[in-house]
Amino acid sequence: MQLISETLEQAVEQLARLPGMGRKSAQRIAMHLLKQDNEQVFRLSKAISDLKKNIQYCSTCFNITDKDPCPVCSSPKRNTGVVCVVEEPKDVYVIERTKEFTGRYHVLGGVISPLQDVGPNEIRINELVQRIRNGEGISELILALNPDAEGEATGYYINKLVGPLGVNVTRIAHGIPMGTELEFIDDATLTRAFAGRRTF
Amino acid sequence: MINTNISLTNFRNHEHTDTVWGTHVNIITGPNGAGKTNLLDAIHYLCMGRSFTSSSDLYVVKQGHSGFLVKGSFTGNIRSHFEISCSYERGDGKNLRVNDSPLERHADLIGLVPVVLVSPDDKKLTGEGPAERRSFLDSMISQTSPAYLDDLIRYRKIVRQRNKLLTDLGHQPDRLEQMLEPWDLQLVETGSRIVAKRASVVRKFRDYMEQAHEQLTGSGMRPSMTYKSNCIDGPDLTGDNIADGDIRPAYSQELAASVKKDCERRLTVIGPHRDDLVFFLDDMELRKFGSQGQHRIYALALKMAQLYYYTDALEDLPVFLLDDVFGDLDARKTDTVMNMLLQHPGQSFITAAHPDKISGFTGIDDQRIFEYHIEDGVMQQLIRGDDGLST
Repeated sequence: MQLISETLEQAVEQLARLPGMGRKSAQRIAMHLLKQDNEQVFRLSKAISDLKKNIQYCSTCFNITDKDPCPVCSSPKRNTGVVCVVEEPKDVYVIERTKEFTGRYHVLGGVISPLQDVGPNEIRINELVQRIRNGEGISELILALNPDAEGEATGYYINKLVGPLGVNVTRIAHGIPMGTELEFIDDATLTRAFAGRRTF
Repeated sequence: MINTNISLTNFRNHEHTDTVWGTHVNIITGPNGAGKTNLLDAIHYLCMGRSFTSSSDLYVVKQGHSGFLVKGSFTGNIRSHFEISCSYERGDGKNLRVNDSPLERHADLIGLVPVVLVSPDDKKLTGEGPAERRSFLDSMISQTSPAYLDDLIRYRKIVRQRNKLLTDLGHQPDRLEQMLEPWDLQLVETGSRIVAKRASVVRKFRDYMEQAHEQLTGSGMRPSMTYKSNCIDGPDLTGDNIADGDIRPAYSQELAASVKKDCERRLTVIGPHRDDLVFFLDDMELRKFGSQGQHRIYALALKMAQLYYYTDALEDLPVFLLDDVFGDLDARKTDTVMNMLLQHPGQSFITAAHPDKISGFTGIDDQRIFEYHIEDGVMQQLIRGDDGLST
């Protein structure tokens, strides 16, 4: 359906391009914004434009940050010897929430996937090797990549590359999540968890 | 597992069909093109999430409509009552639901209602290339093992990624070798599990096949089969307890030795996606020496063996679908199949364009048999009365 206003149409088109958003939801949001007072809508539009303007990538770990280097990389309390390698900035937030990991991060910005034309040079693997060579004092890499085929391939590749540099490469365990009842685990995960069982 | 009732909306030539099924043998009669096979296809959708007659969901939609809906209720030993629905809408794609909650992955449906399908396409199983036989094995094992299905999906993805690398980097051997390694390690790990599982299922399956074939023919001829892998020599796969660990070394070696060939063809040539299942009858290879009739019976016996295998291996009995199976069979074998269905405790659905072939089993006073007649997508149950059957 063509909308009655060109301006409204443009707003709907832009909103509909957001992930998880269909045209109907976009129309609802645009109509909702029209009803808000000016101040509220201005705050939203400023937050969106600041997002692009102010947020940058940390030049050390490539996480998103307001200032470079990021708070994690510049904190004297973090252990510089241990680096956790993740795919995306959102993974950093998930791990930070645990408040257990005290090392630093390296955000790859993707995983190796030939079908998507993503090779090691398209993600920040060279930068990781550079960090190890630069004498940051990295002794352990913890790979916290998704357990799908692409995440695994990226892990193997990194392990092969940094192994000769004298760094201990580990990976996070996978299996049954804590606090979950067995009946809710999908069959494939449960089967793997059985295969990877440990002595009590 | 029993499919108690089914409802079809805009599904092929069924604008709206609601049917309550019998719990044992259901016979569906009607002229060619009436919509008999479509009913079995609808049940197949609820079990496997896809059609067995059509390669795309789009072709299943009734002409002039934008989508279809199939809903059915099931009762079983583990879950006493649940409902499965499968809807498709042009543009939005397919939606699978169990008790109204959407399934995250299509794979989560497989195995919920085990199903065995006999269709005229089965002649491809023994007569055509290895892809048909791999697909038979994969479908059979996937319904009993979600981990196997998971491995299969992962393995196919790894092969696609690897083939893309072979295409992109085929002309840079050094770089290719470095880039292939992370995929090859996973290929061998996942592929070995697939080979081990297939070999072990085939070993168990042989006994069921002997039983089914003998039941059908009474000939004393012995069917057998060998899983033939290009990753490891046949005799190494015949042991009683073969594990993926036993397969990995040979598989790795074969894969490494074929890199040059892979580069030339830009394809992964080694692995379970190129394996075959070879059928024998009295130690003669069926594909080379079998007569038309032997092929036909062999294919039917494979499906009956699948039914028997599931009956032993699974907690719930499978649903048995037989599409136009009697067209090719002589009277004695038709009777054998019908008696076998009556003896088997599970639920079955049979379509027959020529009901006279099973006239000994229709219109009789047998509570195990339910009959339905269908014409132009309109379905009627034939009710047994004092004067015989009426609608």
